[in-house]
Amino acid sequence: MKLLREFFSRMSDTRARAATVLSMNRRNLHYIYTRNQRKHFPLADDKLLAKEILVAAGVRMPETYLTYSYFYELRNLERELGAYHDFVIKPAQGSGGNGIIVIVGRSGSDWLGISGKIYTLYDLQKHISDIIFGIYSFDLGDRAIIESRITQHAEMQELSPLGLADVRVIMCDDIPVMSMTRIPTRQSDGKANLHQGALGVAIDIVTGITTHGRFLGQPIVNHPDSGIHLIGRALPYWPEVIELARLAARSVPLKYLGVDISISPDGPQLLEINVRPGLEIQNVNERGMLSILQAMTMQGSDDEQ
Amino acid sequence: MTSNNSGGIRRNVYLLVLAIMVLLPVSVAAYKLYVLDYPLAGLIPTTSYKVEVSMQVDGHGEDISIHTYLPKTDSRQTIDNELNSSGIFTSELKSDPLNREVFWKAENVRGQQGVLYTYTVHSRHVQFNIPSDLPIPDSYPAVLAPYLADEPGLQRDDPQIAAALRKIVPAEKPTILDALTRIHRHLQDNLANRNFSGYTDALTALKLGEASCNGKSRLFVSMARKLNIPARLVGGLIMQQGSKRTTHQWVEIYVNGYWVPFDTINDHFAEIPAHYLTLYYGDLALFKHTSNVNFQYFFNVTKQLVQQRDVQNALSQSMLNVTNFYAFFERIGIPQNLLKILLMLPLGALVTVVFRNVIGLETFGTFLPALIASAARDTGLMWGIAGFLMIILVSALVRRALDWLQLLHSPKMAIMLTTVVIVMMAITVGGVQLGLFELAHMTLFPIAILAITAERVALMEAEQGAMKVANITFMTLIVIAACYAVMESLFMQSLILAFPELLLVVIALNLWLGKWIGIRVLEFVRFRRLIMSPQEAAGRT
Repeated sequence: MKLLREFFSRMSDTRARAATVLSMNRRNLHYIYTRNQRKHFPLADDKLLAKEILVAAGVRMPETYLTYSYFYELRNLERELGAYHDFVIKPAQGSGGNGIIVIVGRSGSDWLGISGKIYTLYDLQKHISDIIFGIYSFDLGDRAIIESRITQHAEMQELSPLGLADVRVIMCDDIPVMSMTRIPTRQSDGKANLHQGALGVAIDIVTGITTHGRFLGQPIVNHPDSGIHLIGRALPYWPEVIELARLAARSVPLKYLGVDISISPDGPQLLEINVRPGLEIQNVNERGMLSILQAMTMQGSDDEQ
Repeated sequence: MTSNNSGGIRRNVYLLVLAIMVLLPVSVAAYKLYVLDYPLAGLIPTTSYKVEVSMQVDGHGEDISIHTYLPKTDSRQTIDNELNSSGIFTSELKSDPLNREVFWKAENVRGQQGVLYTYTVHSRHVQFNIPSDLPIPDSYPAVLAPYLADEPGLQRDDPQIAAALRKIVPAEKPTILDALTRIHRHLQDNLANRNFSGYTDALTALKLGEASCNGKSRLFVSMARKLNIPARLVGGLIMQQGSKRTTHQWVEIYVNGYWVPFDTINDHFAEIPAHYLTLYYGDLALFKHTSNVNFQYFFNVTKQLVQQRDVQNALSQSMLNVTNFYAFFERIGIPQNLLKILLMLPLGALVTVVFRNVIGLETFGTFLPALIASAARDTGLMWGIAGFLMIILVSALVRRALDWLQLLHSPKMAIMLTTVVIVMMAITVGGVQLGLFELAHMTLFPIAILAITAERVALMEAEQGAMKVANITFMTLIVIAACYAVMESLFMQSLILAFPELLLVVIALNLWLGKWIGIRVLEFVRFRRLIMSPQEAAGRT
């Protein structure tokens, strides 16, 4: 009898805790589909389109140097790239940090990548034509963007010595809900993608102080490569980061989105917005997001269908 | 954002559509059952087997003849749709009360020549109850004399068999049931089954203490005859989906006016399962042929569902009668088998939806598992999965190789598809050579499915890496197997063929799943730290 009561009390505890977690089905149905109209999805999928709107609304973003939409445009690639010392090549519709090449300078007639890899003119042409063909976008036809390279704030560089860390803020109805920073590791091959082995560090949304770390599905307190302590650090420019996230969210007709921000020495810059932000942020924060979302949108009639 | 008002309308429309999708098909089904008086049992299709007997010879200019036995229709099995494709051979049929034989003959045969004989079998399971007090008769009518005689290979009068029999059946005057039970149990339990295809006579089987079906059957017949119970050998085929060369032998014992079957390999006592096909009676060779012609044969068995047309044709002429409904399609040349594939696809998609949204597996596309499962109909699940893996492996390998060569995307995809087609042709040729006909059917894998799979795999590998592809391939395989189980289940097929309106219920289920916001099974694993560990939640919620 006592055992049974304990079992049921455990069950109801589990149910209560499960009710705090935002699940994939609920995120899709109640947050993405009801708050973001289908016709606005291209805004988040096409980085160039989003950039146009966001920059017009006053959101600070990396400067676009060049775009390539057709193969024949690549004839002029060498001459056109000659005008820039360092830059980033990325697909307009890519996801998960794939298809991005970061060039930090020249190496003779070739280019030097951030990881030390040498790229010949042919390598870059091939990469850009892969982007145009749609290899990184699941779609036929994409555009390649060449934009200014962001250098990160010294404190971010200390936290993330192996590449650019980004700060992900989940925005719902223009209100920040949860945030984390994603830090490239040796495992992730310089990419800030949790599924590819990047390090996730939870950030208290109010104070901007790091609270938990997670690496390869396990809690962690020190950077797996540099060994630096990750918890209890205050990120630079935090009020500006949140303000930028709010401004970006207000500028687009999407009401549930992930905003990715990078912090450079002179303040935050927006990297991209994501219309289907992942759920792993809950594991990184060791906290379910649904309870926060429901507390935020108390009226929430759509949520209780 | 929609206002509360339009949200309310949307909700009501949703509930209305849901209600219609459930009530309409249920009432149509009820109408058919109670008003049209659908005989449910008659609507459920019966299983039948299509048997192909393929025989081949290599001629060097000689006259060649092939002889075999064809099954007869009797009270247990019905043979129809017989088709004789004998090529250069002329055929001659002979029939006696027991057996039906066929001779194929040709003169001056050169090169490889073949005969393909096909027929359909409906057969049923038969079981006899032998009264326990039935004594062994002292005498029988004269026509049964051959079934009591000593024959070469059936050494009834051999003293060793008599001695063994005395140990197995010690009673002076045993009843028939007692005698048969003891012999059957002895052969089943004390004689090891050997998977050996050669000829074994009764005495050899007894001496070795192990035998294949023909040795055990001969020993059974000899012992029964020794006890003055008429017995005969039966040659036949165990019908299982696929191709095989192995035939089977069992025995029939004459009890109280009936020939009662026994199989001491598969332990069938006074019964015979539905998938046993009787080909001939007596101690005979199934195939006889001119020597030195490299004679090859195999049986290919396809299990199929057949409507009980006689029952359905007796139904009324209402448009709701499915027979009339399917006849409509048959008029324009769409067979019911094709319709069946079409009707089962929504169920496969539903299975995939459940796996994706309720369990949380990722698959290549929503329809791909259902499509591959239906493509695997011809090859069987195992070869279907092998084919699917082959496509994935070839496309991944070729993409790697072509990546190294640094080619543009479209030509790369085209080369990949070409390679996959070539490999499939090679597999088909190899399959025919080895007699693995399920494998040979792999060419039937619809090319569109192939192309979609190959391109998706290549893109995903480029984008998310080989590990991810391996992962999703594994999960897709699970879903394909589940789709196959549902789409190929006789129960589901019968149900949907008899009540196609149930597809609306599939829509209703999808409508419901489309609003289901529960936590997926695999999300419980993913967020286990948030959900399961109590100390984590303390102070947070």
